[in-house]
Amino acid sequence: MSNDFSQFQDAFFEEAAEHLAVVEEGLLALEQHPEDLDLLNKIFRSAHSIKGTSGMFGFNAVAQFTHKMETLLDLLRNGQKAVTPVIADLLLRSTDCLKTLIDAAKTGSSVDDVTVQRLTEELAASQNASGSQSMPQGNGPSKIKPASAGPELYSYAIAWAPPDWLFQRGLDPQQIFKELADIGTLSQVTVDATKLPELATMDPEKCYLSWRMKFETAKDRQVVDAVFEFVREDSVLTITEEVQGKELEVRGEESPSFVTPDGTESKPKPLGELLVESGVVSRETLNKALSQQKRVGEILVEQHAATPQQISQALQKQQDNAAHAKKGTETASIRVDTDKIDKLINLVGELVITQSMLSDLGSRFEINQLPVLLERMAQLEGNTREIQERVMSIRMLPIGTAFSRFPRLIRDLSANAGKKIQLVLSGEETELDKTVIESIGDPLTHLVRNSADHGLEPPDERLDNNKPELGTIRLNAFHEGGNICITVEDDGRGLNRDKILAKAVKQGLIAENEKLSDDQIWPLIFKPGFSTAEKVTDVSGRGVGMDVVKRNIEGLGGTVKIKTALGKGTVFTLKLPLTLAITEGMTVRVGTETYIVPLLSILESIQPKAGAMKTVVGKGELINVRETYLPMIRMYEVFALQPEYTDPTKAILLILETEGERVAVMVDEILGQQQVVIKSMEKNFRKVDGIAGATILGDGTVGFILDIRGLLEIARRGVAA
Amino acid sequence: MSKTALVVDDSPTMRQMVAFTLTNAGFTVVEAEHGKDAVAKVAGGPPMDIVVTDLNMPEMDGISLIKELRKMAAFKFTPILMLTTESAADKKQAGKEAGATGWIVKPFNPDLILKIIAKVLPT
Repeated sequence: MSNDFSQFQDAFFEEAAEHLAVVEEGLLALEQHPEDLDLLNKIFRSAHSIKGTSGMFGFNAVAQFTHKMETLLDLLRNGQKAVTPVIADLLLRSTDCLKTLIDAAKTGSSVDDVTVQRLTEELAASQNASGSQSMPQGNGPSKIKPASAGPELYSYAIAWAPPDWLFQRGLDPQQIFKELADIGTLSQVTVDATKLPELATMDPEKCYLSWRMKFETAKDRQVVDAVFEFVREDSVLTITEEVQGKELEVRGEESPSFVTPDGTESKPKPLGELLVESGVVSRETLNKALSQQKRVGEILVEQHAATPQQISQALQKQQDNAAHAKKGTETASIRVDTDKIDKLINLVGELVITQSMLSDLGSRFEINQLPVLLERMAQLEGNTREIQERVMSIRMLPIGTAFSRFPRLIRDLSANAGKKIQLVLSGEETELDKTVIESIGDPLTHLVRNSADHGLEPPDERLDNNKPELGTIRLNAFHEGGNICITVEDDGRGLNRDKILAKAVKQGLIAENEKLSDDQIWPLIFKPGFSTAEKVTDVSGRGVGMDVVKRNIEGLGGTVKIKTALGKGTVFTLKLPLTLAITEGMTVRVGTETYIVPLLSILESIQPKAGAMKTVVGKGELINVRETYLPMIRMYEVFALQPEYTDPTKAILLILETEGERVAVMVDEILGQQQVVIKSMEKNFRKVDGIAGATILGDGTVGFILDIRGLLEIARRGVAA
Repeated sequence: MSKTALVVDDSPTMRQMVAFTLTNAGFTVVEAEHGKDAVAKVAGGPPMDIVVTDLNMPEMDGISLIKELRKMAAFKFTPILMLTTESAADKKQAGKEAGATGWIVKPFNPDLILKIIAKVLPT
């Protein structure tokens, strides 16, 4: 086993992320309760942990930056400085910066040096000259100077009188002698026992002795000093070097201590910093100038060297690359309660017992033992089910980790939009699959932004409508059946039916005189390119629309529903599977093949009457379902199978919905409903159009899980061809 | 019989690194998340050969832990090392007053931990 710490890096990044969350949450809470010392201590501890641990891995940029934050935090918790909004804000921005620094250490992505530099300066400035303290650098205390050349023998006379409480600190003079003997020769040791009291008055836990030693070693003076490192300051200690009988140097406890390495960077200071130092410009002027600094892209556009489109494409590419790099290095580790693992090991133990009972039974089985066999099988089934549940639960994390980013988001949003917003979180402890948690972060963020930006009205408008000035956004999570529901609720203006209709007509999404029910109108906002905001704001509406939210959620096998009341508010309800590894499916048969249709996408199944079908040129076959014509897909045609029925009136039509589109899929028979474990096609074979994955069915054969979207596209291609 | 060590740190990464180093060096390691956890884990149990503790921790910090341990008969003379990033004298002083044997300054590497432990481990 290699004896270094690099294998702990991943653990560090995971831990650092948790500490960052603690710092951020803490700072947000601190803004509300600036006097809360417990909170400050908590923040400080987290920052301190990041600093200490990052140094261990040589992430010096992280360590140094955190050190600056920590120094300020220390002043705050000692009461030497008060928590002001300005300082809280500075610390929050520093936390963001620290995040990018840690990301950079993790993925090698680039860091905006200007920001780091500026924040470092601001942090230093806020500490009132106390920021000059530098932290020790390098690997361990580099107190030991390189030994001088040649195996020269040094000779020392050492007089050591330890403090009498030596033993009470767990120290033992024997240790010192042993260590000295390890690095040289103790030629003479005399003990001075004059201070030893009468036995009756002696405290056996105290040290009354002192020693004089003659000591020869080839080691440097620092090495000898280091032997006494833990006792030196409290002892009376003189180490005298004797060369050719002469005493050269006398060194006592008050002599200067080791040369501590200077932590300041030898890098030249930035120009701005020098100008501030020499008094040419003030720091405010510098910060202002720095904030006006133009990005390369802007300059190039001004000089007509590139078009804004080219720049934004390049920027997109840069972002993609960064995102890609992040993904590539993200290791999928997960922290699990030892409790959960212990239970699992217990269960596996039981499984082994059941298995051995079964094999024992099998080796001498007689037919009259059938009831015993059945009983054992039931036991095996029980074991298996429980193990399955437990293993799944290992991947389960509380959704609070996905919620934790929102208090900060809301703070920034309310500041930017000039709205007063309170965020109410509930159900944070609801558990769901780690992969799902990681994937819902972005869609949720978008929904929350959307609520803050479009949902909630400005304060004066709220007051005019007899509403409290303070708008509320509620995030809630709860389990419902085998799913998790997450609601994003605001008490804002609600969706405006007329505005949405007008916009949809304008965009050609619906015909002008089309009659639509509310439930048909609301989903229109999920259409690509649909945004009712009059102007694009900084907050939402930056190209990524609600359509992306819906697509992401559906990509996870979930659904989004809208409930809204004009003037009262809007509720978005996300319904997601608890895990991506197992799905609830309907098994259907086409010819001799079995397919699985994801249950969430099935609306109903029907057996059409004759005459309900129609063929339209360019659109293929359509089927009339309660006065709506839906495209019809014959599964046997798509997968080139020999079906039992080719006549739709004899077969079964499943009405499926995907991304708001409905489609009728023709199959021979519905077999039943079951949970299936999804096996990836890409990993085990290759991507197949129309197939989302495969699974092993109860009889051991392979069943394919349908990808409704893909199926629809195949059908369209078929029509076009 | 292998030597025993108590490693106390609220940072799991840090704790695991120290524990890993000590385990590799043949120690049987008991890990604790903070002072209270440590006291709960060793109280009434057998003595340990060495204690390595962080200072900044929730629930009960390192200094208080050292004081608590020194009150226990089993830990009265046990070497206790504190992990510290501070080269600041006040932390060391507070540690020494509480009864800390010595200190390991972060950042450290496995060799340094083992070297310092060898220095204070009873023979």
